[in-house]
Amino acid sequence: MAANSTNVVRERSGDTSVRGSSDRPGASRRVRRARWIGYAYLAPAGTLYLLFVLVPGIHTVWLSLFRWDGVTVGKWVGLTNYREVAENPLLRGAMVHALVLITFFAGFSIIVGLLMAAILGRHRRSGMTFYRVVFFLPQIVPMVAVGITWRWMYTENGAVNQILRAIGLDSITQAWLGSFTLALPAVGLIGTWALSGLCFVLFLSGAQKIDNSLYEAARMDGAGAVREFFAVTLPALRGEIAVALTITVVAALASFDIVYVTTNGSPGNTTTVPGLLVYRLAFTGGQVGVASALAVTLTVLIIGIVVLIQRLTRETT
Amino acid sequence: MTTATRKAKMAAVGTIGIALIVVGCTPGTANPTTSATTTTAGGGISTAVPTEPVTLTLAFIDNPDMTDALADAFQAKYPQVTIETQFTQFADYVKSLRLSMSSDSAPDIAQYNPALKDLSAAGLVVDLTGYEEEYGWDAKFPKSALDQLRVDDTGKILGTGSLVAVPGGLSLVGLYYNKSLMQEAGINAPPTTVDELTADLAKAKAADITGLALGGLDYGSLHAWAGLMNSMANTSDWRDWINGTAGANIVTPDAIAATTVFAEWTKNGYAPDSANGTTEADSATAFAKGDGLFLVDGNWDAAAIGKTMGDNVGFTVFPPAAAGNKTVGTGFSVSYMLSSKGKHQAAAAAFLDFLSSPEAAVIESNGGFLPPNAKAAPPATGVQADLQAANEKVVSDDGLMAFPDFAAPAMIDSLTSGLQQVTAGRMEPKAFLESLQKVWTAYHGG
Amino acid sequence: MKQSRSSNFVAYAVMTAMAIITLLPFISILLAALQPPGTLVSGISIPQHPSLESFNEAWTTASFGNLLWSSIKIAAAVVPISMICATLAAYALGTLKVPGGSAIFMVFLLGLTLPVELIVIPLYFDLRGIGLTNTPWAVILAECGLFMPFGIFWMRTHFMSTPREVIEAAELDGASSFTTLRRVLLPLSGPALSTMAVLFFMWSWNQFLLVLVLIQDPNQRTAPAGLGFFVGQHSSDVPVLAAGTLIVILPILLTYLVFQRKFISGMLEGAVKG
Repeated sequence: MAANSTNVVRERSGDTSVRGSSDRPGASRRVRRARWIGYAYLAPAGTLYLLFVLVPGIHTVWLSLFRWDGVTVGKWVGLTNYREVAENPLLRGAMVHALVLITFFAGFSIIVGLLMAAILGRHRRSGMTFYRVVFFLPQIVPMVAVGITWRWMYTENGAVNQILRAIGLDSITQAWLGSFTLALPAVGLIGTWALSGLCFVLFLSGAQKIDNSLYEAARMDGAGAVREFFAVTLPALRGEIAVALTITVVAALASFDIVYVTTNGSPGNTTTVPGLLVYRLAFTGGQVGVASALAVTLTVLIIGIVVLIQRLTRETT
Repeated sequence: MTTATRKAKMAAVGTIGIALIVVGCTPGTANPTTSATTTTAGGGISTAVPTEPVTLTLAFIDNPDMTDALADAFQAKYPQVTIETQFTQFADYVKSLRLSMSSDSAPDIAQYNPALKDLSAAGLVVDLTGYEEEYGWDAKFPKSALDQLRVDDTGKILGTGSLVAVPGGLSLVGLYYNKSLMQEAGINAPPTTVDELTADLAKAKAADITGLALGGLDYGSLHAWAGLMNSMANTSDWRDWINGTAGANIVTPDAIAATTVFAEWTKNGYAPDSANGTTEADSATAFAKGDGLFLVDGNWDAAAIGKTMGDNVGFTVFPPAAAGNKTVGTGFSVSYMLSSKGKHQAAAAAFLDFLSSPEAAVIESNGGFLPPNAKAAPPATGVQADLQAANEKVVSDDGLMAFPDFAAPAMIDSLTSGLQQVTAGRMEPKAFLESLQKVWTAYHGG
Repeated sequence: MKQSRSSNFVAYAVMTAMAIITLLPFISILLAALQPPGTLVSGISIPQHPSLESFNEAWTTASFGNLLWSSIKIAAAVVPISMICATLAAYALGTLKVPGGSAIFMVFLLGLTLPVELIVIPLYFDLRGIGLTNTPWAVILAECGLFMPFGIFWMRTHFMSTPREVIEAAELDGASSFTTLRRVLLPLSGPALSTMAVLFFMWSWNQFLLVLVLIQDPNQRTAPAGLGFFVGQHSSDVPVLAAGTLIVILPILLTYLVFQRKFISGMLEGAVKG
């Protein structure tokens, strides 16, 4: 049928341009011009991207090789700043904290999302629009607003402790953001709260696309609901899980807003994250080189993990 | 796939090439700015205010009402000058101002904080020595207040060198106390020595009252510790350390003793367990609500606390180590510096001079500060009267001590995190002081 | 397949519980914001004398009007500029197939994973050098740059899914590349473009670190940055702080409620296809 239509076209316009456009004399110039004019279309976006993303990114790498206070002349130090990132307990601690946040931002959120998707099953239910709107809400509002709200809720007499007292858990109430051990998990839970809804909606939409025949096959093998989930649903959601992992892991590693507004690293540097230290070191501490090295390390880590996630999920499909 | 990878590599190389060409140079400038620290910008020092219309921008952090009132009063006196005020909260002010003073849209007048003292060496702040002489500021402002605002030409050491800012209102940190809770705990009068204060805290605990309202989430309960250092550490050594004088060291037996008292207070439960999870502002609110017998805080909260507690609150200097010792109190001034990029320095300098005037004194007083021109201060009652008395004592004992975070730009972060750990019993006093000294040495050398 | 009553009940119960948990923080600050300024609110409490005074205080004293206006100004520039640049570039990469296009596309894709932290330091110092810091343009241009990877990826995917015949028919009719784009592709791209618009608006509105670094003048800050600065001054006045927070959230919230389908589908599709 395609062949017929091209024949018709050829007859109509009287040329053989579909396949042989380069054969015609003026056409090759037009084609070439068309292909090169593409660069003109690329120019605005390319310039913006080059000037405001790529060049600064490489500039950061360049700055990371210097010791510079931001005002006077800098001094070349090669890779010393990277050694600082690896050895200085404050900087290393920030990277560790970011990894801890992954447990909450990614691990818990995905588990909650999967659990809820499992409970809901594949049945389409009414009223989902309302729920979807609600669950996405934390992703829409500025993280700063979320942070301020939760900081207030975590105070000694704040909402969190209020609820704990109401259900009889008085003994564990405390000023959460002042605890050396629990402040970081507390911040992590904010992330879980913010990201679980997104994961759930993602998994649900993915689950609803699964072919029924797969479930029927499983049922014929005598699988119950739980086995159904692990044997059919979970593998089919591999793509969505990869997406959720990428989003949540990057959110944890690159976090700044939420930590800046809730604890600013307190208490005692137990909630510092790389983003926070980059800001602090570059703009108050007068250690632009170290801050740059930290930023580069963070970026490499993020890219590495994203690639890893993609690899792991692609191999098995 | 190989073609695409090769293409990608070429694209990458190309991009890096372009970028390096754009970027490749040592960061920073050898000669930071054009206008140096000498004041001759604008052609000579004159105390005459320009007669043509002039607009000045003023960046500040403390007390918007007072700053606006000062600006308004100045504009009333010199109608041709308009002052636009810009407010920023403290934690971001230092970072913000550091960034904006080096830009072309630097404010003409900016509230000064010693964390910004290096800006004078970079030529971004006007050296006020000329104006000081012309206007005769030595007679109009207290000596110890002016001395705090001197910076040497390396931009690192305080207390000596050229004057970079002028005080608008003096601040003082001391001890607020709740009179009714004092009675409840069986205490007759506010403590006059550190030991008495510790004993009072113990009495409070026995009466089931929170002894010290403490808030460490944002700054690590800095004032309480600084108060103990003021009283128990050697005054000139402590001052040298904060000023950045060569060879100063904070790891001394008396400093360790002071920090130990602080650690013991929290260990013995004289402060709430939630201290590290409460901000300084919230701790002041808690005190005003009646939750806490003592509060170590500055005069800036006096107005709000006085409004809530009325006659029930009193203020006294933070007690010295022994009766009869000179009083040392942490205090600074809301002071203002001039940007060397400002185009109307004469007008801006006139504003600085205005701060010593009687009209300004009334405004500063109402703003909860102690006016530099003490003679022109309006009579006060209640906790404000206590404040003025305390201030007079500290000034006459020449005991004004700058804030500890002035010692180095990055000091505030170490102070905050360190004090939080000391409060929680997770860091020994000596280790804490050593961590501070490390930051100090990294900045000052030696 | 019939769903059993109990499983239906469980499903709704779980979702409702989750919805309550999700909404709880918002409800609690709304309740706090309805208290008169200066009230000492610690947790969730129903106001005895609900009033809008705190909103008024937040709007006037902290000049949130200014902050919202700055956010709007920046978003009003960022969204159209980004959309135009991304669409043009996506046309080149997706339809025109420029030489080296796949390599160029990969360079853009790289930007999807780069965190803002990587670029803020030099952006600040370089833009200061040319006097652009403290102006909205610094933020506008930086955000446009940052949005290119997603925008190009999104529109390229969309253009590539347009049937080839439609484009070739236009070319045969002698249309220039631009006319093809304008007359043929764009009219078909309504949903894709509008989804991209709302996503860009949201990301621009919520941007914090970039604004924090590039703009110090309080009068030019955007709403979230202003909110961050506002916390210190009024942190004890919870109702006013809560009101300020709500004012910052309101515009993006309203946009979300009106365009919610686009937001959700955009974020989901964008994520999955990425």
